Amino acid sequence: MGIKTNVSDLGLAGGPRIFDQIKSVSNLVKPDVEKFLGYSRMFHDAEVYTGHGEVEKLMERRLAEFHGAAHCVSFCGGFWGLVMAMKCLALPGKTEVVMPSLTYRRLADIVAWAGLTPHFCEVDPELLCITGETARPCINENTALILGVHPIVNCCDIDGLEALSAETGIPLLIDAVESVYEAYKGRKIGSCANAECFSMQSSKLFNAFEGGYVTTNDGELAGRLRIMRDSGLGPDGLPAEQVGLGVVQNEMHAAMALACLDDVDEQMQANRARYRAYQRCLADIPGISLRQFDESQRCGYKNILAELDEDWPLTREATIAILNAENMLCRPYYFPSLHMKKTGYPMIWGDLSQTEELAKRFLLLPCGYFVSEQDIEKIAELLAFIQKNAAAIKEKGLV
Amino acid sequence: MTTSTSLLSKTFAVKGGTPAFPSMQRLGQHYFPDWARYETAFRDIFARQYYTNHGPLAQRLEARAASYLGVRHAMCITNEAIALCLAAQALSLQGKVLVPAIAGMQLAQSLQWAGCEPVYCDIDLHTGMMDAQAARARLAAGDIVAILAADLFGSLADHAGLQAVADEFGLPLYFDACAAFGSTSGGRSRAGDGRLQVFSMQSSHVLSAGEGAFIVTDDDQLAAHVRNIRSNYGMGQVIVPVVKTSNGRFSEAQAAVALASFDDLDAHIARNQQLRQDYVAALSGLAGIEVLAPAGVDRSNGQSLMLRVDAAKFGLSGRQLIALLQAENVQAEPQVNAGFYRHDSRFGTSALPVADAWHDSLVELPLGSKTDGATVATIAALLAAAHAQAAGLATVLGAGR
Repeated sequence: MGIKTNVSDLGLAGGPRIFDQIKSVSNLVKPDVEKFLGYSRMFHDAEVYTGHGEVEKLMERRLAEFHGAAHCVSFCGGFWGLVMAMKCLALPGKTEVVMPSLTYRRLADIVAWAGLTPHFCEVDPELLCITGETARPCINENTALILGVHPIVNCCDIDGLEALSAETGIPLLIDAVESVYEAYKGRKIGSCANAECFSMQSSKLFNAFEGGYVTTNDGELAGRLRIMRDSGLGPDGLPAEQVGLGVVQNEMHAAMALACLDDVDEQMQANRARYRAYQRCLADIPGISLRQFDESQRCGYKNILAELDEDWPLTREATIAILNAENMLCRPYYFPSLHMKKTGYPMIWGDLSQTEELAKRFLLLPCGYFVSEQDIEKIAELLAFIQKNAAAIKEKGLV
Repeated sequence: MTTSTSLLSKTFAVKGGTPAFPSMQRLGQHYFPDWARYETAFRDIFARQYYTNHGPLAQRLEARAASYLGVRHAMCITNEAIALCLAAQALSLQGKVLVPAIAGMQLAQSLQWAGCEPVYCDIDLHTGMMDAQAARARLAAGDIVAILAADLFGSLADHAGLQAVADEFGLPLYFDACAAFGSTSGGRSRAGDGRLQVFSMQSSHVLSAGEGAFIVTDDDQLAAHVRNIRSNYGMGQVIVPVVKTSNGRFSEAQAAVALASFDDLDAHIARNQQLRQDYVAALSGLAGIEVLAPAGVDRSNGQSLMLRVDAAKFGLSGRQLIALLQAENVQAEPQVNAGFYRHDSRFGTSALPVADAWHDSLVELPLGSKTDGATVATIAALLAAAHAQAAGLATVLGAGR
């Protein structure tokens, strides 16, 4: 017998939920507590709890090594790492940041905090990301920065964007939050562009409680980022020209990041097993397809993204409502896209019909530490049930 | 005291002698839960697997802080600098904002990141905090949109006087109260004064999350706005339009440490007050040295020990004394001096005579978890020796920074 036999068994119809515990689309990995305590012991013995203690310094070294980058500059969060990297890299006197609209919901706010104006470009319909080709039409005499963003599955067009940057002299920053473990044509993510930014909030590959960092091979840029992050104080302890803000990582969060770094290969394997389970279980359900990782490159398998095809019988919003009612916190993929949101600052865009169309089609399925292979089997079973019983679901007025 | 006798003829490190302390005596409180409490708290977090974003410990901390301070809302934020940026954003400030010339540098910086321009105001001759009359004079000259005042040194600024000026001009007043947690006036906290206040829980403060801060207010609508900018968790039912969000999330790790710190708060304050008494006794009668008394409070959290140095009487200026102590492995540069407007080339030097005098005379001494009676006695003896040898030291030290 299946998990649901009748549409009245659906959570949305008041039936028992499939999951007692919420299954989210966040990674929420739990590192080894003993490793965390081991790193904690270092700062506890040193009696330094924030402001660049030995644990945070070790974390920066280990992250630089992990990404194959010359420098890693840590922050209390990815948000301010991005703001400061933009501030440092933006061409002086220029105002616009060329970036995708189909992306992280706060990214335009981050640009605004950096005192710059988002200029949204289209995304490639196959790759779901900014490419050299989609960015090019938005480059103009006001462009200060190109902001590449890796999509949730696979990487953005680094070759195309680096070529555009080289050709125009406009710096390239990459928001690499979703691609910590990946490689692009053999190059480790974190070692590309002028700089790359990462988050270590608990939903990301590295759960540091909270945190972020910027990697770069540019020593001068790393030095400027450190000054800006350390309250704008130069090596002499006096305020530097560039305005700064105290946004340093604390030692507890750094200890957590190190514990995650120690286990990252095991984490990738567990996420790959989840991805394999989805591949297996979704293969025979009509109308829904899994977004495939490019396994010719190193990938982390962190999130599960599915596309609803034209023959899927319900709208995405109706589908998500049914899943949510079973305690699956499924979310639409980057919807609404950023140019559709009302903000208190100016934004620039042209025709983004492709972005608007793509923003309707994808959804994120439960993944990460809290999701087992058995869970995935149940999720797939429910999706198959929805697909078969869509007419009855609509008839009953559930969606 | 034997130490002081032997130190009077000491060869100071700036003259090639051995530093009085083998390692740096830090400014700031730096209390932290002992290992057993830390381990228990963090094993609990791992068992719960709730890591950040308005988790159960953060909610408990917010409730406890609000209750302790007697305010309707306390909202935990990543750190003080980000909390100040969020505050300016939540108050929808645009334009020039008055800040005290002596305060943490994050005041002016938060305004610049929020798209405002800091304008420096002179300070009160006796308290070192924003002077209501100087503020009034600057507001009368026009084009100021808000006042950001600071409670410093465990003292409380002239809240009533500043509020009267703000009301007269119809402008919002808010506070950086980073150094005032646990300080009271009239038997109660003044955390409800102004539109909102920002408290720091950075390691150097009496209530420590290792790193962290919170914003307090009695204004429900403003609280909703702050929560909405911070992240969209825990903001309740009220949705307020936001110009741009920031990320001010506060983790369960920070909350666990802050809750432990809360348990020890009274003991930390009592210890601060004992060490203050030790300093006052040991420094009494030393010419040109005034231990700054807490202002505007009936109880101070006692987290800072500040000196005013009268260069003519002591023989060295405050700047020279800081350089001398630093070489002896004693941190003595007040953090508030780093935010001083004279360092800021964008603003140039304007005539803020009281702030100028305070900057040149202000010295801070260690008063934290690692400071004990013996440390106090040694530092006091160093000061006595510095006074005795002042003439010879002044030439070595130059003007100081």
